Amino acid sequence: MLETWGLLLNGIAAASSPTILIAVAFGAVVGLFIGALPGLGPTAGVAILLPLVIGFDGTAAVAALGGVYYGSQYGGGVTAILLGIPGDSAATMTVIDGYALAKRGEAGAALGISIAASFIGGLVGLILLTTFATTIASAAIAFGPVEMTAVMVFALSLVSVLGGKDPIKGLLGLCLGLWLGTVGLDPIVGIPRFDLGSAHLFDGIEFSILAVGLFGLAEMYNTHLGEAEGENQIRFRMRDLLPQPRKIIRCWRELGTGSVIGFIVGVLPGAGATAATMITYAVAKRMAKDPERFGNGAYEGVAAPEAANNAASYGSMIPMFALGIPGSGTTAVLLGGLLMIGLQPGPMLFQTQPDFVWTIFGSFYIGNLALVAITILLTPLLASCAFVKPGYLFPAVIAIVAFGIYSINYSMFDVMLAMAFGVIGYVMMKLGYPPVPLILGLILGPILERGIRRTLVGTNGDPSVFFQSPIAVVLFLASAVMLFWPLIRKQIRNQRARPATN
Amino acid sequence: MVNEFKISRRSFGAGLAALGIAPLVPRLARAATYPDKNITYVVAAGVGGGSDILARTVARVIEDKKLLPVTMIVENRPGGSGAIGYNYLNSHEGDASYLGGVGVSFFTTPLLGKMRYNYKSFTPLGALARSPYILVVNSGSDIKSLDDLKSASSLRVGSVGAVADEALLSHLLNKEMGTQIRVVPYDGGGEVIGAVLGGHLDLMWGNPNEMLEQVRAGKMRPLAVSAPERIKELPEVPTFPELGYDINHTQLRAIVMPAGVPAEAVAYWEGVLKSVAESDEWREAYLDRFNEIPLYLDSASLAKEMEATSSRYEAMMKELGLLK
Repeated sequence: MLETWGLLLNGIAAASSPTILIAVAFGAVVGLFIGALPGLGPTAGVAILLPLVIGFDGTAAVAALGGVYYGSQYGGGVTAILLGIPGDSAATMTVIDGYALAKRGEAGAALGISIAASFIGGLVGLILLTTFATTIASAAIAFGPVEMTAVMVFALSLVSVLGGKDPIKGLLGLCLGLWLGTVGLDPIVGIPRFDLGSAHLFDGIEFSILAVGLFGLAEMYNTHLGEAEGENQIRFRMRDLLPQPRKIIRCWRELGTGSVIGFIVGVLPGAGATAATMITYAVAKRMAKDPERFGNGAYEGVAAPEAANNAASYGSMIPMFALGIPGSGTTAVLLGGLLMIGLQPGPMLFQTQPDFVWTIFGSFYIGNLALVAITILLTPLLASCAFVKPGYLFPAVIAIVAFGIYSINYSMFDVMLAMAFGVIGYVMMKLGYPPVPLILGLILGPILERGIRRTLVGTNGDPSVFFQSPIAVVLFLASAVMLFWPLIRKQIRNQRARPATN
Repeated sequence: MVNEFKISRRSFGAGLAALGIAPLVPRLARAATYPDKNITYVVAAGVGGGSDILARTVARVIEDKKLLPVTMIVENRPGGSGAIGYNYLNSHEGDASYLGGVGVSFFTTPLLGKMRYNYKSFTPLGALARSPYILVVNSGSDIKSLDDLKSASSLRVGSVGAVADEALLSHLLNKEMGTQIRVVPYDGGGEVIGAVLGGHLDLMWGNPNEMLEQVRAGKMRPLAVSAPERIKELPEVPTFPELGYDINHTQLRAIVMPAGVPAEAVAYWEGVLKSVAESDEWREAYLDRFNEIPLYLDSASLAKEMEATSSRYEAMMKELGLLK
């Protein structure tokens, strides 16, 4: 343990060399903007920067790419709060309360909480990464298709918490999302599904295309500029542009649980940061004394998912550093980066390249501190976006969003698809269907499908294995409790109430 | 020939430079000195993957050895299981300033139908290396040799995608050895390694580069190699052919151009690729680095190889019921 801290201190010292500092700052700022740009997430960000930074020396290149990764986790929350569009998939849950806060005029406070949560989540994730990487890695590989199925069942059982006022509408949205998740080449047998006769849909529907349509464009279609401007203008106060420490401290519990759960789910193969944010949000809402506040601008609703997605990004690096295998789409590109600079990722990286690994870890600590400073300084400027009249703001946002979507695959088809999802989102909004369950269906559905089908291919169709894994059984039971929690709680209350009335 | 005069926006600068150097040279004479425009290497996959690393290494070796008078630009066009990238390359018919790498999806995606192209829509230029597959098990496994596969029951092998080299090889294995190994497709090579380490899969196929680190760390045990010759770094591991099984399938690192490019361009690139394949820089930066087998194929031999590869995939996809 002590030895680890010694190595880490050496790493931080090594990472303080001017070249690496510049690389970290460069990567973090690029990541911040890429994360904030709807359409481009951390995977695209790392991929865009990879050919550029290969010219740096090896360690600086990876430090810069790491900066893009965690920088984008900070940036994703910014767009979610200010525009109500998740900048990347891990920021979807932040939209719910973050955007509600911004609409209420508290953009500064929401951004402050998001920054603090990102930092704390990041720090917890980093400390766990640096101290327990090898131990956690061997636990993570225990999660095979059976266990991943159970994790996804558990995550989906939480949708009932997130569905808004009408659980049936939430469920229908989820089903639509699950169906959209089946578009593309079948992951197990390879035939195209619902491809509309076009190769554009072979890789499935990109999260950001759906998110931009459902959240961003739908909201804009719904705004009647002429009438909105007079009445909906929120009063502008300088105070609302600044982060507010007291509100941050009040969320300590959500910050803690968000960081830990985010990290654990982030380590699991293929589960990713988005599932982590969803689980922490649901847990925070379940634990709250007054869950009604969630969804209407609760500070805790921003704190929990933002802590989770930052912690998850470090969790997903564990399989990469400890086993030499990618834990997420972004770490897969990072791993390619290691190969390009001439490093051989593998289970021996800690032994064969200790200087490299510890310097990179050191650079992560420095990068996180730098990001807090940068984002706090930017907060007043960013928060003032919330006070710009829609007539000026929306054309700019539409241009940025269209550019972001187009740049994923250089495809006009994708832009048209986002516009179509905007129409669907508008209809859903008018009918009172929440968009979040639909998005979650699209992200989690494919992981669930792969889990179930990989298991069944492996056992020749015998489903009994699902109940032979202790991890899976515990998660299935937890899912049942989550689903029936409202009924159970009622029962407990009745039990308690009875002696009192007697 | 007409296409050689077409100046794309990207090469406009290069064109101007050429004009500046030789303003009085007639246009026809300039057209004869191919290449006069920057070359775009289209990668039908994202940054950081195998085909991307190949492209960037080729571009670097060409630059270091000054084999081209113009610049080579690597352009990633991912999406649609390769369809987006190869459609893009195919749309530059007759334009010898575009080329692209050949991956598995180059053959398999068009076989699924509905594409405007297939492998015959491209002009083969040459191949630079090939990569065999090693069949491995978790080092804690009871399977010590290939023969143990026959007695073991209900084995699972990983594959990266449903229609992939790993699936093709596993079907060959079942046919040759009479085994009933089930193929479980995953989305990436790393996921498959994780599943083998965690005991969720019994076997996997991997390129030497993927597998050597795991083998050296004592996490995986190699069983056999899918090529006629053994791997330099693993001299004790037998090959399938020497054990008497007809399993010989390697991944070709090949480069193609759009259809209808002039014969001079093909001859020019055969020369460039031959110099790359035989250079020390290539050996160091690619072959030794990723433990691949040295190889050079010219246009005609690559054409033959592509035909054979495509028919292997077609046969497998028919067996899987993906094609009629």
